[in-house]
Amino acid sequence: MFSIYKKELQSFFYTPFAYVMTALFMFLFTLMFNNALGNLEQPILQFTFPDIFYNVIFFFIFLIPILTMRTFADERKFGTEVLLMTSPVGVLQIILGKYLANITVFLFMIAGSAFFPIFTYLNGTLILNQLICAYIGFFAWGAMFIAVGMLVSSFTENSIIAAIIGEIIMFVFLFIDDFSRTDFIMQYPKLQSFLYAFAAQPRFAYFSQGFIRLSDLVFFASAIIICLSWNYIAIERRRWKRG
Amino acid sequence: MITIEKLTKYYGSNRAVNNISFTINDNEILGFLGPNGAGKSTTMNMIAGYLPMTAGKVTIFGSDITKEPVAAKKNIGYLPEIPPVYPDMRVTEYLSFCAGLKRIKFSERKDEIARVMKLLKIEDVQHKLIKNLSKGYKQRVGFAQALLGNPKFLILDEPTVGLDPNQVIEVRNIIKDLKKDHSVIFSSHILSEVSAVCDRVVIINKGDIKAIDTIENLEKTLGGNLTLHIKVKGDRTKTSNIIELTEGVQEIISIDAEGNDFFSFAVKLKEGAGDDTKNAIMSELIKHNIQISEIFTEKPDLEAVFVDMINKSSDKHGLQDLLDELGPATESESSEETDTEDEKEDDK
Repeated sequence: MFSIYKKELQSFFYTPFAYVMTALFMFLFTLMFNNALGNLEQPILQFTFPDIFYNVIFFFIFLIPILTMRTFADERKFGTEVLLMTSPVGVLQIILGKYLANITVFLFMIAGSAFFPIFTYLNGTLILNQLICAYIGFFAWGAMFIAVGMLVSSFTENSIIAAIIGEIIMFVFLFIDDFSRTDFIMQYPKLQSFLYAFAAQPRFAYFSQGFIRLSDLVFFASAIIICLSWNYIAIERRRWKRG
Repeated sequence: MITIEKLTKYYGSNRAVNNISFTINDNEILGFLGPNGAGKSTTMNMIAGYLPMTAGKVTIFGSDITKEPVAAKKNIGYLPEIPPVYPDMRVTEYLSFCAGLKRIKFSERKDEIARVMKLLKIEDVQHKLIKNLSKGYKQRVGFAQALLGNPKFLILDEPTVGLDPNQVIEVRNIIKDLKKDHSVIFSSHILSEVSAVCDRVVIINKGDIKAIDTIENLEKTLGGNLTLHIKVKGDRTKTSNIIELTEGVQEIISIDAEGNDFFSFAVKLKEGAGDDTKNAIMSELIKHNIQISEIFTEKPDLEAVFVDMINKSSDKHGLQDLLDELGPATESESSEETDTEDEKEDDK
């Protein structure tokens, strides 16, 4: 597992990929940060990082699939899947190795964003508790979507298609929140609560307000486990069905 | 020893490999010969544990590839048809990744990588990105990967494709050297290659085994008759009369004039005829004062044997065979059932 993890990290960090991604992320964050600074009003002079994170999430939907699109699609494209499957390494270890590598790049990107709170801390005061909660929420959110993106990547050998399908799924997750609160859906309370349960965004909102709720953690953890298990099944299934 | 028992593979209702069985002994190079699309790669993928089989069993040094995949795969070095290399990695990075995959101890990795690079003469490209290498080098990097960790069983799917003639000879020699302590299965659609390297050959066409034997036996059983080539200086009619009257000669295939009274004869001998006929002709010619400048017998053309094998129509004409031909639809259904069952097992 470690060798796969290491190889994936190499493919991110020995190429400009991880750095370009992080730079793009920092750029988006900078725009949001500037907006927040620009909106400061007398006399409170206050803005919240969770709000910035909340906005960044929308753009992040484009970044995560680009990060994960190559995970399995490229293995198939280059015929290197054979190498992994015929080596004495289980499929589960392959998936976990790749997942952890993607998470590591994600953490690297998040670490880049720490620049802004530090900058704020040096020039003002920072509410640390809320910030940590927002970071935890942001991490959980990203970890879930990385699992989704990897799953999509195992469906196709075209990484661009993998990225687009990944984005579609993430948009659905994003808009299901608003959709579940439309008047039409509100007529059916059971359906409404069912749909609302899948919405990832309000869960992040709780984190950003400084709540760490067990139900949210369970939601993200179970989504990750489901996606990774499905990933395992998808890979095995394709081998059996091939041709 | 590696045993392959009743291996069958269906792609949907399309039968790619049909009920093939053979064994690969220790320290043996087995050639796996067949035209393109004969099912060679499918079979090799199944032996290596990449593709699951529809039916049958592959045992590698006592471990079943489907039941104990990790134990079985530890003994396998596999070079697929397309070398499984990552274009964005450097050669050493790639090999070190593969060494990790094969669970070679960290302390031994460096030496092991150096060993395989030396063996395949890829040291001069070790710091290059794989995408910048030529086809031949990529092929050799893929081969190096298969040799990492010195697995006892090597599966080589057309290892010499894309190499230049010098490299082909080098790779063949490497394979011959490997025989000392490895079992090798080696596929090719080029017969001369197989006959140069292998101890035994399995000939496969359209998923069926056509023959399993040593090269010599194949020549004997299928090759038919020897051809005698004679080059003489002297009278042409007299020589051909002598040859035709000698016992063991079937016919004169060709006579070519080569200037200055030299003639070349190609003579087809009767079945079983050989050195005795050759000696008889020689003494007759000498008796008649005809100078022989060259005389040798030639084995039947292996290529012809191969083509013959492949095109040989199936000898089966029994009722069961007719039923078999009618029955693939039902067979495929049952195979799909086993597929899904196995899948369920997998899912668990």
